[in-house]
Amino acid sequence: MRTGEAAEERTLSPQSFRDPAGTLFEDGERILRRVNPAHAAGLEAFLATQTAARAIERGALVRSQRLGDHLYEHERIRFPSYPCEWPPEMLHAAGQLTLDLACSALEEGYGIKDATPYNVLFRGSRPVFVDVLSFEPRDPRDPTWLAYGQFTRTFLLPLLANRQTRMPLASIFAAQRDGLEPEAVYHTIGPLRRLLPPYLNLVSIPTWLSGRETDFTYRPKLAASASQARFILHRILRGCARQLRSLEPARRVSKWSGYLPAERAAAVSYTPAQFAQKEQIVRDCLAIARPGEVLDAGANQGHFSFLAAEAGASVVAVDSDETCAGAIWREASRRSLNVLPLVVDLARPTPAMGWRNRECASFLARARHGFDLVMMLAVLHHILVTERIPLEELFALAEELTRGYLLIEFVGSDDPCFKRIVRGRGALYSHLTRERFEAAASERFDRVRSARIDGMERWIYLYRRRRAIS
Amino acid sequence: MTAPKSFKYATTTLLLACLPLLLSTPAKAYGYADPGTGAFLYQAFYAAFLGGTFYFRKFLDRVWKRRR
Repeated sequence: MRTGEAAEERTLSPQSFRDPAGTLFEDGERILRRVNPAHAAGLEAFLATQTAARAIERGALVRSQRLGDHLYEHERIRFPSYPCEWPPEMLHAAGQLTLDLACSALEEGYGIKDATPYNVLFRGSRPVFVDVLSFEPRDPRDPTWLAYGQFTRTFLLPLLANRQTRMPLASIFAAQRDGLEPEAVYHTIGPLRRLLPPYLNLVSIPTWLSGRETDFTYRPKLAASASQARFILHRILRGCARQLRSLEPARRVSKWSGYLPAERAAAVSYTPAQFAQKEQIVRDCLAIARPGEVLDAGANQGHFSFLAAEAGASVVAVDSDETCAGAIWREASRRSLNVLPLVVDLARPTPAMGWRNRECASFLARARHGFDLVMMLAVLHHILVTERIPLEELFALAEELTRGYLLIEFVGSDDPCFKRIVRGRGALYSHLTRERFEAAASERFDRVRSARIDGMERWIYLYRRRRAIS
Repeated sequence: MTAPKSFKYATTTLLLACLPLLLSTPAKAYGYADPGTGAFLYQAFYAAFLGGTFYFRKFLDRVWKRRR
């Protein structure tokens, strides 16, 4: 097996080099973890617990196989995603999983040493805890959960800020790896609110106590007995779970959330017959392409993502609207569909982040040639008009993303939706004809089929990329 | 009277129970995540309070069983 320096150079996880217990790295398609010898026995013992076995069985903990010499191989989660790309619903689900595992591990004598959303990835809409080294045997008399502050900063406070001020999680986690400090939230709330729960215990008291530490503060304190310590920790975790429940994201309505679901399509632009026709065209194209992996770019509420998932594909559904991505997650979870919704703006996709820009890969680096089919339905006019991206650039991006097919909807300049977003700047877009669209596509793609939606200035094209992937 | 005695006993127990947690005992420090300052102190006070209720609950359980 090749486990040389070149492979180890490409670390995957933000905890990978911060955690002294081990290093995660990629070797081709394999995900490997080298464990520090001092922590190997602890990890092996944890993987033998009921907590680990049950979590692995239900898909909540990453599968791990010992290869020997303190080297482990983990199952690969198909499309890694980061908290800055999650709607609040997914951050909430990741927090719940973290607490569930922490409570269960506590009963078997293990503690969870860090509580960050970077420990969690999503397999479709289901969270998977991937950092097995987070679990350590705990001192039976230690009643302190050192990761409590981190859980507050990275789960509770971002959810609170998102709920109260609609602050997007992208703006929190893209700017700060470790979430929100209580002090940062304290200065955004009024004097009365500071005295009310949940601000009082999550924000105000920690802020008032901040800076009052002494050398004594961080010296570990032990309970009188193991049962007392377990009782305290259990209550602390239960309190966190109660706080998390109170911050469960509410269903919201946004500018885009009622844009294109079937039941409202007529009010927006489609008659029910037209929408049914579009749906049938998409089904037919899915039957031709038979994709294993699909990217639905501009997924809105995920109607066509769900069609692709029902056809057997694993779908990544991206939309720039957090509310839409949240609605997709709720529906995909409810229907157990293999759809991973992410808050990604195609015109400003997630950049590479972290130390030396290597901790979190950019969205495009992760998505490059990663899909058998890329769907761009009813999104073209937003990219061309709102974002002012040239047509040729759009096809260049599509070619970068797909390794097979592109399903794209052309929206003519006479379409009411097109006119609505042009806002009087029609002359700027008079060149955007169907002929120009087809000519731009033909530079990189071969047409497989096309169909017009009856009575509309909309055509749906199925293309296949011409050049082989090098 | 039973109630005041119970109250005194409970209060004393609560204070005594907090003592071990308020007195430092060196032990192995786990984890590498920043525990924060305010959140850590808040947790320490909360843990001390919970440590007290641990004994308080046992006492209440005993009173409850005796009455039954």
